[in-house]
Amino acid sequence: MMITDNDNKTIEVGDGAAIPTKADAGLFTAWRISFLGAVGALAYLVIAKPDPYLNILKFVPDGIVVTFKVTIGAILLSLLLGLLTGLGRISGNRFFNGIASVYVEVIRGIPLLVQIFYIYYALGRVVHVPDMLSAIIAMAVCYGAYMGEVIRAGIQSIPKGQMEAALSLGMTRTQAMGHVILPQAIKVVLPPIGNEFIALLKDSSLVSILAVSDLLRRGREYASESFAYFETYTIIALVYLIITLILSKLIGLMEERINANR
Amino acid sequence: MKKLRMLTLLAAASAFVVAISSTAFAGKDLKTVTFATDATWPPMEMVDANKNIVGFEIDLMNEIAKAAGFTPVYKNTAWDGIFAGLAAGRYDAVLSSVTITDERKKQFDFSDPYISVGQILVVSKSAGNVKVLADLKGKKVGAQIGTTGAFETKKVAGVELKTYDEVGLAFEDMAAGRISGVVCDEPTAAHYALQRQEYKAKFKIVGKSFTSESYGIAVQKGNKELVALLNKGIKAVKAKKIDEKLKKKWLR
Repeated sequence: MMITDNDNKTIEVGDGAAIPTKADAGLFTAWRISFLGAVGALAYLVIAKPDPYLNILKFVPDGIVVTFKVTIGAILLSLLLGLLTGLGRISGNRFFNGIASVYVEVIRGIPLLVQIFYIYYALGRVVHVPDMLSAIIAMAVCYGAYMGEVIRAGIQSIPKGQMEAALSLGMTRTQAMGHVILPQAIKVVLPPIGNEFIALLKDSSLVSILAVSDLLRRGREYASESFAYFETYTIIALVYLIITLILSKLIGLMEERINANR
Repeated sequence: MKKLRMLTLLAAASAFVVAISSTAFAGKDLKTVTFATDATWPPMEMVDANKNIVGFEIDLMNEIAKAAGFTPVYKNTAWDGIFAGLAAGRYDAVLSSVTITDERKKQFDFSDPYISVGQILVVSKSAGNVKVLADLKGKKVGAQIGTTGAFETKKVAGVELKTYDEVGLAFEDMAAGRISGVVCDEPTAAHYALQRQEYKAKFKIVGKSFTSESYGIAVQKGNKELVALLNKGIKAVKAKKIDEKLKKKWLR
């Protein structure tokens, strides 16, 4: 049995090209241009035309907080769901494997917006759950399936020999999974999970359809009263862009540290 | 050969785009007038089982059109953004239970009012003794985004406004117990609270309407021709008391 070199096992991250690495010393990276451009545009609009731009910016901060709350709540819950699903998908137990696989297939087959609507209003018929928690649950159920696939791929990227070696040392399968496979898999899956995090933050704008007062909802409320649709969506887009650029930068830094630790 | 196929595809695509844009901007001669309507506001405008847009306002506009001599075309449009579409010229007018307000008058021109209604509060029966909106302090009250119901609710300090894309979603959320009340136009409130079987047992209407508003047809600023045409039709319909007949048919 051949044990392959583990250092080559990475999953490419889609946003990677935009994030400067240490080797990328140029001043005008894609990330810098987008970030400075977005901040500059926002500052210019707010200073040059405080009415309506500053008014819009003053109207939305509590929406940004709600967007963060929904995103972080959903990411934690979906990680948990994803871990269970990922383990279920590689499990030899037919029952768990079946449940996890059906869950992934069903969720991936339904548009996110439809799922959010469905889970929110279906949940309301069965149990009494506050609106923000329902929105978080809806997002987490949707993203749990995708997280599960990321985690499954991460676990499967660890060479079989690792498991075999652990078993031959007398570990049980559970011990081997917990002490040998998962710690290695986490390094592999962290970057794509970071990517899912950004995708989730953007998709969290869909919960505005559930009357959750997130960033997009606040913007729409402002526009509906002032009729300043173009101006409002300009600000909303810039705010989302700045938040996701900061996040992608953080994820880039995290990736670098993981690679440095290897 | 491959190049030729690409060219054919390109030609087909551009023909498609031209076809779409020409239908969208046709009919500026006032023989046909396109009305945007958010058909989620029963009984004023809604989509029936046969996918037709029906309701009090649709019947009324058909009569107005007959009297004024034009053909109405109805376009089902989401309320949030319906005015942005009017400003952009995607349709000629908005016929969608639009209350004439000073803010809206700054942006658009309006026809003469054709009906007067008011905002009313609907609560779930378990809400206890609620007499006015201010009794729901510290609680959540729903309304459709950008409606006068939402604006009125926002005015009441201490009441947390939640805005929905459609008023039906607000009623469904109240049935689920997530909000304590819904504010909307009286005819619509009556439809949801008294005529929908599943809601009848759960909801009750609080008192009488607490505002007095007039619906008008919104058109682009400066479109005097269309306003004159609509006003002519409205006058004729009112003179024949057709609007009263339709009120009996659609409203309680």
